[in-house]
Amino acid sequence: MMADSPYWNPYLETLPRERLRALQLAKFKRIFQWAWEHSRFHRSLYDAAGIAPADIRTFEDIRRVPKVEKSMMRDIQGKDPFPYGDALCVPLEEVSAFRQTSGTTGRPVYQPDTWQDWEWWAECWAFILWAQGYRPGDRVFIPFGYNIFVAFWAGHYAAEKLGCEVVPGGVLDTQARILKIQELRATAMMATPTYVLGMADTAKNKMGIDPAALTIDKITCAGEPGASIPSTKRRMEQAWNAKVYDHAGATEIGAWSFECQAQPGGMHVNEAFFLVEIEDLQTGEIIEEPGRRGKMVITALDRHAQPCVRFDAKDVIEWDERICECGRTFRLVKGGVVGRADDITKVKGVLLAPAAIEEVVRGIEGLGDEYEVVVDRPGDIDRITLKVELMPGAENRVAEIEAQLKDQLRLKTNLGYKLEFHDYGRLPRYEVKARRFKDLRKQH
Amino acid sequence: MQELKQLEEIDRDIRRLKEIAGRLKAAQPEFPALVRNADRILASTKMLELNVCDLLDLAAE
Repeated sequence: MMADSPYWNPYLETLPRERLRALQLAKFKRIFQWAWEHSRFHRSLYDAAGIAPADIRTFEDIRRVPKVEKSMMRDIQGKDPFPYGDALCVPLEEVSAFRQTSGTTGRPVYQPDTWQDWEWWAECWAFILWAQGYRPGDRVFIPFGYNIFVAFWAGHYAAEKLGCEVVPGGVLDTQARILKIQELRATAMMATPTYVLGMADTAKNKMGIDPAALTIDKITCAGEPGASIPSTKRRMEQAWNAKVYDHAGATEIGAWSFECQAQPGGMHVNEAFFLVEIEDLQTGEIIEEPGRRGKMVITALDRHAQPCVRFDAKDVIEWDERICECGRTFRLVKGGVVGRADDITKVKGVLLAPAAIEEVVRGIEGLGDEYEVVVDRPGDIDRITLKVELMPGAENRVAEIEAQLKDQLRLKTNLGYKLEFHDYGRLPRYEVKARRFKDLRKQH
Repeated sequence: MQELKQLEEIDRDIRRLKEIAGRLKAAQPEFPALVRNADRILASTKMLELNVCDLLDLAAE
């Protein structure tokens, strides 16, 4: 029976590594040729580097292909063919969907897709959802504002493709969404970790509904690294009495990775559809071995309207040495996306990844889910202020919590912090991507 | 071995499907319902190609 298959594609997902690599190389050649022939932007980039399709024979050759930065995509947009610019590889009339990036790191980038690209988006998500146990008969509630951001749009189409029943939670507010989940007995949900926790908080503290007593049994998270941060995952799973799975993707890339039901402490890269390379943050050298963090350079091997070829994604990842018990031969990235190269910054000479702070805060009982990190330099020395919320009833344990927090922060991040305790509900709440890390040093 | 033969047969059917959808799309360019629906079939057929044909064509041992 179809539903018994643990894999969306039992052949591709278990392909021996050498055949998988052969597939990636052949597909890279194909997409490089496509971009070289159809995009003036890519052609001039490659001409300037003196590289043409015939030069790509090995993975070493691929490393000579110039990377594309997000700022380059910003520079061409607004030009002809309007509004995308000359990276567009198809006639404008073949573009069937517009999306744009969230603008977290600057001016939003426009993304054109053809109908085939949308089929491809949904196909990538089909790998994800099937691996996370979605099956025909699941009733999937999607509580996001269906709009210009790609977010869970493709998750919606993929769930339909799988044979699930999709309930679009569009413009409903949080309370109405919770009531709809309860009313329809939805079995699965997709949201950012911030919103998964926020919904649970609203259900419990404003509506008197225990989310763990609802019927959601699996949740797919995206948009933030929380589902791969053990303490955040634990909080979400306990709150909803559901399995929580991570996934990472991006508007200009596609849905490139997913956590499977084995929950191996990392995410599989869909290597049949994407080529992921990891570059050393300092030297730019390609990292092949497990255990060394670097930034991701990624190629979407089958995306056509606006190709994504060696895109400098700035996600910080590392290969995992383990082979997943699920049987997939797709490599794992350990702990998911551990940060952004832009966010991993030196404070007092020490590299600080905000995800490490989240792991500590959410691992301490008595602290709320929300926190905020502010780095500034009032004199000559950096200062990190960590704002946290005390849960109701934890007020008389401040000293104990403070000591625990200081110890754990020192252990996990090797830094000292100025701690601020706030009443529950005082820190900002976010519905989509949270902005909890603020580096004010550039303003001084 | 039997699995491979079966995949090869599926591969041939996908290629036939693509050819037929392409023919339908081109048959009457002034017939929007025919052209656009055939185009959607082609987009779905491409996903079958990515899942099956590429496996046979590109993932050589």
